[in-house]
Amino acid sequence: MSRRRRARTGWLFASPALLAITAVTVFPVLFSVLLSFADVRLEYGGFRILSLTGDHYAAVLSSPEWRQALAFTFGFTAVTVLLELVLGTAAALVLERLGAARGWVLAVLLLPWALINVVAAQLWGYLYNGTYGGLTWLFTQILGHQPDILGQPASAMGAMVVVDVWKTTPFVAIVVLAGLMLIPGDVYEAAEIDGAGTWTTFWKVTLPQLRPIMAIAVLFRILQAFGIFDLPFVLTQGGPGTATESLAILGYKTLFQNLAIGRGAAVATTTAVIVITCCLLFLRVFKAQADEGGRA
Amino acid sequence: MSRRAPASGIRRYVNAVNLGGLAIVVLSALPLYWMIASSFKGPGEISADPPSLVPKAATLGNYAEAFVRNGIGRYLLNSVLVASVSTAAVLGLSFFAGYALARTPLRGRGAIMTALLMLSVFPPIALVVPLFLLERQLGLLNSYAGLIVPYVALNLPFAIWIMRNYLVGVPRELEEAATVDGAGPLRTVLTVIAPLARPGLFTAGIFTFTATWSEFLLALTFNSEDGHRTVPVGIALFTSQYTVPYGTLFAGAMAATVPIGVLVMIFRRSIVSGMTSGAVKG
Repeated sequence: MSRRRRARTGWLFASPALLAITAVTVFPVLFSVLLSFADVRLEYGGFRILSLTGDHYAAVLSSPEWRQALAFTFGFTAVTVLLELVLGTAAALVLERLGAARGWVLAVLLLPWALINVVAAQLWGYLYNGTYGGLTWLFTQILGHQPDILGQPASAMGAMVVVDVWKTTPFVAIVVLAGLMLIPGDVYEAAEIDGAGTWTTFWKVTLPQLRPIMAIAVLFRILQAFGIFDLPFVLTQGGPGTATESLAILGYKTLFQNLAIGRGAAVATTTAVIVITCCLLFLRVFKAQADEGGRA
Repeated sequence: MSRRAPASGIRRYVNAVNLGGLAIVVLSALPLYWMIASSFKGPGEISADPPSLVPKAATLGNYAEAFVRNGIGRYLLNSVLVASVSTAAVLGLSFFAGYALARTPLRGRGAIMTALLMLSVFPPIALVVPLFLLERQLGLLNSYAGLIVPYVALNLPFAIWIMRNYLVGVPRELEEAATVDGAGPLRTVLTVIAPLARPGLFTAGIFTFTATWSEFLLALTFNSEDGHRTVPVGIALFTSQYTVPYGTLFAGAMAATVPIGVLVMIFRRSIVSGMTSGAVKG
């Protein structure tokens, strides 16, 4: 088959998927940017754009709610991703070395990851429950007084970090495990001949080899954590006060509780811009690793 | 970390690994055990202080309640339908697109792959506003199509990524042989490539299925009417104004978790090997 014909076949095969993606993601994003400058009125069964003069960005960017949500989202992302990277790598190193039990340990580890987010949030909400939660009871025994885990800003944030780490460390672990399995055995043999100890081998041999795959895992996790919605929505409803209100929760409240369409679109657009900027910066910083990982 | 640890260190080393494995199992499973146990506790025991580790009077009442009074069966049916149709469509579309990106001389392939990686992590909140308005305009709110169409599009990038990386590794000779035998591109792909791509399809399938089965934000905003609610929305809205009926809630949660748990147990190896091709060779 000629090269040109093969290219035409390629486009024919790829276009249904690419068209679907464009129609449902690229086009709506552009539409959302338009809406963020508009005054929109919901009408029976539809909507009408009244004018394109309303600039909601100034209002959003200067509002204390947005700044608080941004700070929470950044803090939550930084803390969870760091913890998940460390714990996930530790779990992957354990899994790689486990013998016959590996398959089962892996399956158990994957269960929290496969759990519906909302179910995980309800389950931990029960464990944290102020009057009869299992964890509240445990802390009461240790502390000597009954803590109000979800009722205090600091502990509510900590509680949410714990649930996210429990739920998504498995994802990091399987990605790192997949990376570990690709490291060729001879680099270890070389390290052994050089007389490198366990820690030296880990820092000088294993970790550098894992960097490309870790970079991709961290990128996925940063962007997912940045868009967190289900967990605060069910576990704390953003509270107490607005202590655990993420940007996604703020966007949802602006849109569906206040019915401020243009302003909600502005919140969503700023969130997307921050996410994409982070993504590009990250890819730039880790370009060497990403390129290395990008080789097919 | 050498694989052949010196003999004197072997015992300590093996113990640390086994302890780590035990810690993983306990930390992962304990909250899940709590959910399983609680789903069998009666109304008095679920809010008992101190909490009981094992149900004292195990009952199936919560399950009856979840299915009969709270209609979890309907939500499950909706979820099965939405997740299966979405997964089937994603697999079909991503298989052809992945093949095109892996094997045909497309111009701008690198740019397409980068754009796909970006899109696969795009924050859903940025899509909710425009999609909600569009679906409202088109009358798609509270319909199966209203969730299936965005689910397919949102899960395609990652699935294409996995399929493409899997198909890059499939030897070229086989399809060349089929072409020499006079098979057209479509027939070659369906009869030669598709069977070889099965492991890649499993991985893409399980990722798509778990993602669509769990999706909450779009399901909450687009299909909030009872008849079209999916399981995550049903479970999130279980809470009444003042009390949460945890026993019934966990019975419903169990019904939603067991199918996905079984899938993960069966395909656990594919999940890791799919990651190998999906993330590393990416």
